[in-house]
Amino acid sequence: MTLFVQQLANGLALGGIYCLAAIGLTLVFGVLGFPNLAHGALYMLGAYLTFFFLTDVGLPYVVAILAAAVVLAFLGVVLERLVFHPLRNSPHTHHMIATVGVMFFLVAVVQEIWGTGFLRMESPVNGQVSVAGAQVSWQRIIIIVTAVVVLLLLTWFLKRSPHGQAIEAIEQDRTGAALVGINPSMVSMVTFAVSLALVAIAAGLVAPINLLSPGMGDSLSLTVFAIIILGGLGSLPGAIIGGFTIAIAEVMAATYISVGAGEAAIFIILIAVLAIKPTGIFGTVTQR
Amino acid sequence: MITITGLSASYDAVDVLHAVDITANDGELTVILGANGSGKSTLFKAMSGVLRPTAGQVEFNGEDITRSSPAGIVKKGLAHCPEGRHLFPQMSVEKNLMLGAYVRRGDKKRVKALLERSYELFPILHEKRKQAAGSLSGGQQQMVAIGRSLMSDPTMLILDEPSMGLAPLITQQVFDTIVEINKEGIGVLLAEQNANSALQIATSGYVLAEGRVVLSGTAKELQNDPRVQRAYLGV
Ligand SMILES: Nc1ncnc2c1ncn2[C@@H]1O[C@H](COP(=O)(O)OP(=O)(O)O)[C@@H](O)[C@H]1O
Ligand SMILES: [Mg+2]
Repeated sequence: MTLFVQQLANGLALGGIYCLAAIGLTLVFGVLGFPNLAHGALYMLGAYLTFFFLTDVGLPYVVAILAAAVVLAFLGVVLERLVFHPLRNSPHTHHMIATVGVMFFLVAVVQEIWGTGFLRMESPVNGQVSVAGAQVSWQRIIIIVTAVVVLLLLTWFLKRSPHGQAIEAIEQDRTGAALVGINPSMVSMVTFAVSLALVAIAAGLVAPINLLSPGMGDSLSLTVFAIIILGGLGSLPGAIIGGFTIAIAEVMAATYISVGAGEAAIFIILIAVLAIKPTGIFGTVTQR
Repeated sequence: MITITGLSASYDAVDVLHAVDITANDGELTVILGANGSGKSTLFKAMSGVLRPTAGQVEFNGEDITRSSPAGIVKKGLAHCPEGRHLFPQMSVEKNLMLGAYVRRGDKKRVKALLERSYELFPILHEKRKQAAGSLSGGQQQMVAIGRSLMSDPTMLILDEPSMGLAPLITQQVFDTIVEINKEGIGVLLAEQNANSALQIATSGYVLAEGRVVLSGTAKELQNDPRVQRAYLGV
């Protein structure tokens, strides 16, 4: 039982990370219609930026994460203007190729600045609390709480603010959105900014418990793509439920079966769900 | 008032609209008749900025809006309720309506009054305001689409085949509402295949064929024109 509670906390923390990363990816997919293959590399960059703000600048941990989120949000606007906006009338394959280019570029930049090896970020908060007999580290509690707070803020933003409503409107009907006067360029920029800020927060939260390396985004990228396909491409509740389901399954399988089974669990669930519902849990139309 | 002169438009270099001249006066109901594929929707898209015309000019209240963005055009008071409605299906009826006032969102009082007007015009929408727009019947969805366009407080409303796919009884209700909207002083530019009902409520009209205006006149003239009778009125 203690082991179970322990692993449940680990699963929830990992789920929080997956959710934040997956929502960013699914938002861009919903609004712009293409998968951002640079999402993992942006996650990696977010971790390095958090490391930089914490270790080199000396900001407090939470402020360092926010600073990384702001930088990535700004980078999102720059990427949208410089790379994706000029491609707006081309087929989606061109966007995908461009995202691969962005990915290689970011990895090269990080390798140039921080080197190709592993970096270890000092854990900014130490200690543990006991929850129902199990020892849970403060870091994991911070992750879970931050993820929940960010998800609530994001829901508020999407459902209540004009920019958020504009994002949802474009996702649901581009022509309808244009005719009520929503500017698609503006929405693309906001979407990229939000998406990248979210992935930076995910990376900043995970940085103290994982080693940093230029390749750290690769496996996350794979998992997060599995999550948004599982949840239904473009669906926000799908990304949340998918994120927690996958994380808990991964952690439990790794604990009670074997480490390898953890990764296999992700794709077994994915295949099982897609066999029953090919559009994912909350998916509607997939053809674009 | 809208004055269209020599308007041409194309899709991927295929010309669809050829030098069309059309005028729609304030407060009047102008109807655009034409068979499927004659270019009615293309004309409307070129007017509201969703499609860039290849030649010609669109003037709205004396101002050249040919190169304006869709957002700029709605803000000036020209609203386009598109064919096929294009609602936000997963959002509630009320959110759809509120998004119609997107360009007026700075003026909370006005938006509230506009929402009340929409509910007065379509009481059923008030009843269903919390339901997802996509779950409504075809006729009710058309009401949401018209209501959403009216939420931008237009002086001229472009309606593209609002009766499409609706049962005759519902079509009649939609036409009654269009008359009501027009009586409030809002100019209406209506595309229809249903020539009979449209000409009964219209002030004047145009007939499009293969992207060209082939006939125009007052509604009376068109109703009595043997070519219109043969082609559209089944006489
Ligand atoms: N998005 C599009 N791409 C290419 N051709 C189109 C498109 N929309 C309409 N067309 C063509 O343009 C012509 C006019 O269509 P449209 O304006 O929709 O006519 P209407 O509204 O009178 O039925 C038709 O031949 C149609 O096939
Ligand atoms: Mg049409």
